[in-house]
Amino acid sequence: MSEAYWGLEQNLKTTPLYKVHNDNRAKLVPFAGYYLPIQYENGIIAEHNHTRNSVSIFDVSHMGQIKISGPMIYDAMEKILPISFSKIAPGQIKYTQFLNNEGKIIDDLMICRTFEEDHVWLVVNADCTPKDLDHLYNNLNKTYKIELIEDRALIALQGPNSSNILKTFFQEIDDMPFMTADWFNYNNEKFFISRCGYTGEDGFEISIKDRYAEKFINELLQCEGVKLAGLGARNSLRMEAGLCLYGNDISSSVSPIEAGLKWSIPKERIENGGFIGHEPIKKDLENGVERKLVGIKPLGKLPAREGTQIFDKNEKTIGEITSGGYSPSLQTPIAMGYINSDILKSECEVLLNVRGNLIPAEITSLPFVEHKYFRGNK
Amino acid sequence: MAEIYFTKDHEWIKVEDNIGVVGITAYASEQLGDIVFVELPEEGITAEIGKDIAVVESVKAASEVYSPVSGTITKSNEDLNSTPEIVNEDPVGKGWFYEIEISNNDELSGLMSEEEYQKHIGD
Repeated sequence: MSEAYWGLEQNLKTTPLYKVHNDNRAKLVPFAGYYLPIQYENGIIAEHNHTRNSVSIFDVSHMGQIKISGPMIYDAMEKILPISFSKIAPGQIKYTQFLNNEGKIIDDLMICRTFEEDHVWLVVNADCTPKDLDHLYNNLNKTYKIELIEDRALIALQGPNSSNILKTFFQEIDDMPFMTADWFNYNNEKFFISRCGYTGEDGFEISIKDRYAEKFINELLQCEGVKLAGLGARNSLRMEAGLCLYGNDISSSVSPIEAGLKWSIPKERIENGGFIGHEPIKKDLENGVERKLVGIKPLGKLPAREGTQIFDKNEKTIGEITSGGYSPSLQTPIAMGYINSDILKSECEVLLNVRGNLIPAEITSLPFVEHKYFRGNK
Repeated sequence: MAEIYFTKDHEWIKVEDNIGVVGITAYASEQLGDIVFVELPEEGITAEIGKDIAVVESVKAASEVYSPVSGTITKSNEDLNSTPEIVNEDPVGKGWFYEIEISNNDELSGLMSEEEYQKHIGD
């Protein structure tokens, strides 16, 4: 067989939860420069389904946590990011992207307007952290302090029971709406907790000091129904939720308009500009884009992976799959990819070239599985 | 009596006379994780030693399966079309991939015994 997963790389870092992974018989793989669990002993499908039905813990400590402080911090950040702080309340989080001058995506990220109001807190992709820091240093003057937080682990607790579990540690967490964050205390440790995630389920991301991460995770694992889940389940969950993966579905050659991320850019920013990449984004919106990210359902059981060419009926290439695999929730293959915009107006059945087999597929909207975020007790 | 041989690439072949039954090893199926699809060779096609003949799709990735010997495919395991997970459950039994009429039994001497294979994966 071809070697899919048994190559090991040198000089990999470990997260503060390395021991927890080993204690729980994780299958560790190189990912973004770290040893991270692709799965534990129950396997990806079981971990996926457990997350949809109950609650799972994911180690996402490889992700970059960045704190930026300085005078008029919101004005400074609005020059870099297409967001409007006037519409973001303290304690709120927004999903956004760093853009280059061509209006393409350097990275996608979460940014929190903290209650302290003197700094913002970012969570960025692990692989992109160095170039994100460069981008920040190049575009913020020296009065701004940019700190890469290197002593805090990041744990995602995801699934419909995540709030029931977490409120046994932090009572107030129950009422927090989706996309808000705050500091909490537990056993004299400070936790920065965000209600968000990458699975489409209700859930939290918990930032804690490295030295306390293992102890806290083991306490969570003592709670009924809480299990560990790895990167494999994280990927199938986010695909079902139609969420983009940097490096696959979005990259420095893709604009947020092509990727269907227009919703993340407020109207007044498009009209008034004043951020890096504004002109090309505005043009994309005025003139339309040549390709768009869509959901793709291969008919039958054969999964179509990233790189698979998409054909029209005449076997002419009209697009490419950027993420693809198997959906444990739907028990069918699913994929995401780019298709020429003019095709989308009419045709909705296409062919996928999987190793020379032409597989019929349907174009669908995203997500494949409905989001279940907690919008608050209104 | 059937004899079993292994490749360094984690295929097995059980041979009786000049007929072989091929699958992937328990080690490989465990490394791949949950298997969701197997692309099997059609009856009558010719397999060449060391060349890809089938594809296993796990939740993680697609991996090619190389034929341990040359020959003609006489049967493939149709149960895998509806229940590919039996490769995880019983890789060296019910999870077989295809049956092959071996064209040259001398090729078997280049394969590993069970003991040699266990040593190989122990490295």
